[in-house]
Amino acid sequence: MKTDVMAKDIGMDHATLREIYRQMSRIREVDKGIQAGLSSGKFMFTYWPMTGQEAIPASIAPLVTKDDYMVTIYRGIHDQVAKGVPLKGLFAEALGRVGGVNKGKGGSPHISDPASGSMVTTAIVGAGAPIANGLALASKMRGTRAVTIVNFGDGATSIGAIHEAMNLAGAWKLPVIFLCQNNQIGEYTPIPDYTAGENFHCRADALGFKGVKLDGNDPVAFHNGMKSIIEDVRSGKGPVFVEAVTLRLGPHAGVGWSHLLKGDALAAAKEAWPVPATRKLLLEKGICTEEELAAIDTAASAEVQEAIEWALASEVTGEDEMLLDVYGDPGVVPRRGQRDKRAAEAPHTGETRQMAMFEAVQDALDLALQLDDGVFCLGEDIGDDPGGVFKCFKGMQSKWGERIRPTPIAEQAIIGAATGAALLGMRPVAEIMFADFVGVCMDQITNHAAKQRYMSGATTHVPMTVRMIAGGGIGGFGAQHSQSTEAMLLHNPGLKIVYPSTPTEAKGLLLSCIFDEDPCIQFESMMLTYSMKEEVPVGDYRIPLGVAKVKREGTDVTLITYGWQVMQCLKAAEELAKEGISAEVLDLRTLLPLDYDRILTSVEKTGRALVVHAATEFCGLGSEIASTINEALFHKLKAPASRFGAAYAPIAYSRIIETAQIPHAGTIAARVRELFK
Amino acid sequence: MPTTLTIPKLQMSTTEGTLTEWLVEDGAPVTAGQAIYALETDKSVQEIEAPESGRLIQKAAAGETYPVGTEIGEIVA
Repeated sequence: MKTDVMAKDIGMDHATLREIYRQMSRIREVDKGIQAGLSSGKFMFTYWPMTGQEAIPASIAPLVTKDDYMVTIYRGIHDQVAKGVPLKGLFAEALGRVGGVNKGKGGSPHISDPASGSMVTTAIVGAGAPIANGLALASKMRGTRAVTIVNFGDGATSIGAIHEAMNLAGAWKLPVIFLCQNNQIGEYTPIPDYTAGENFHCRADALGFKGVKLDGNDPVAFHNGMKSIIEDVRSGKGPVFVEAVTLRLGPHAGVGWSHLLKGDALAAAKEAWPVPATRKLLLEKGICTEEELAAIDTAASAEVQEAIEWALASEVTGEDEMLLDVYGDPGVVPRRGQRDKRAAEAPHTGETRQMAMFEAVQDALDLALQLDDGVFCLGEDIGDDPGGVFKCFKGMQSKWGERIRPTPIAEQAIIGAATGAALLGMRPVAEIMFADFVGVCMDQITNHAAKQRYMSGATTHVPMTVRMIAGGGIGGFGAQHSQSTEAMLLHNPGLKIVYPSTPTEAKGLLLSCIFDEDPCIQFESMMLTYSMKEEVPVGDYRIPLGVAKVKREGTDVTLITYGWQVMQCLKAAEELAKEGISAEVLDLRTLLPLDYDRILTSVEKTGRALVVHAATEFCGLGSEIASTINEALFHKLKAPASRFGAAYAPIAYSRIIETAQIPHAGTIAARVRELFK
Repeated sequence: MPTTLTIPKLQMSTTEGTLTEWLVEDGAPVTAGQAIYALETDKSVQEIEAPESGRLIQKAAAGETYPVGTEIGEIVA
């Protein structure tokens, strides 16, 4: 047949190459449209040009569908165009308009369009890879055969997130392709200034899976190479790392040409540029006539012009959107004057069983796994044996198999995998062992899980839960295993945070977190994990988020607290009662959403307030709550509301210092007495 | 409808730019993609290309520094 002969001619069937060129032409017109808008001053946003890299996504486009997932970075407009993100919504998003695919709340560096399979666009170099693992994990656990492709530049190979993600993908044989678009330069710094490595694909070998180097500027070779790779990944053969060699013609940001390409180098680069080169090939091989190619280019240009006009006619996203999409329910957002009344849980009348907190946590996890197929757990050492460092998972892997997933020691990989799976509607529960380790995965938690609903204009959300253990109070864990890190997380919009003080509340709050639609963090105190036992409700027992509870009634002062400090405040209240001071102890239970109503109601009654926590006092939650009380109840207070937290020092190894530096019953009582002077 | 030319914000750090030189005479025809003026921002000079084809009308003098967003000319049909 005539077609076959011609296909041998170029190594690919002609219709496919024509289609690849059509995508390249669309990408080129989008690039030109943006650069023209920026140059003329008609647009004002930051643009990271992908000029020169068009062949990569254009060659992949015929091999994937909207049911395959893509993650990319800020230099990823070419990836978005080829993946099928609608151009009107894409331009409106870049221009910050309500018509944008994300209501103008993500902007050009944060496109999410689940309808086309473009799930996450990150502006944090390398951070997309751990999340891509989560998308791939969800596909694998559900048996959908979807392939996830995560795009990043060569510069991203220097960052830890890529390594953590690659290692986890290899260990779990995830259906993910790490697509390194090696454009020869990381922002402004070229190879070899930032790495002594000669290539990147060999890094996959070191982690036990396949790495391949392909010419990303040759659409025929690249398409053919990717075809077999995508088939392999789809059929469950595990991840592949693809180094697609290309050349970035533009600057890191802005318009025009790269500062590294001058004179002859620029002329040569333009000659090798796949857009005109592929056009020329189609013409020379007689696959397309000049008229046919002109028609493709004209159609692409017209599509872009129409999209730009549409986008400019869309309204700039307004102030009314400010607090929307931080959470699913805008009432969760902490703000001045907020005093929502949230209903407390009904008293439990059913069966109970004696449990310590670690057993109550396991009970909640086991129940959640029964209730919803999308629930799974991941974390370090949670398999049998040992069944979790804190024993919360004892016997769970034997019972639940793959839904209990022990991970490498890699917190970014853990949180990324949870985030990605949650984006597809699963309900992962991650354990980060000690709360001090949150720093290792802060980017994944605060820049990605927490912000994704907002940045995506609520087209996506992240119903995941992270548990972490605060080690302080026992003594001997030292500065890196003892800190109460909630203030770091409270300062980043998008997370819900609970900090139970009893086994019952650990179970009830954890179940509410797991079935909440926003990312939730549960802190568990090492002080309470094993030592406190009580009768805990059996079965599906939940405590609503954002509801504080009075643990001791009083009339003279309110001690507002949470976690293991509740116990200390109750002891202090006992001591103060002997002196005739009646202290009310209010256990916040949830730190965000904060129960302003029960805080203010209690202090309106007592006229005095002290907020107590184990976390560092300076810039802690106590300062925030005390300020709110002083502002809201100034004329009703008998003394200024105050706060009491840990001294400003790392938690000491010495038990004597640790006891002295964190509030305890004696020092809390002393601070309360001062309020009566 | 004429296309307005303003000093573009090329980099996150750009607040102003110097129109170092007009590369096309006032009133002369230009084609989309043709370099029409040289702009210096943050110590680097870049040639700015015409966003549309038409006739260039200069509205600002070369050699001066203008804040981002200042209208410096237009392209008319």
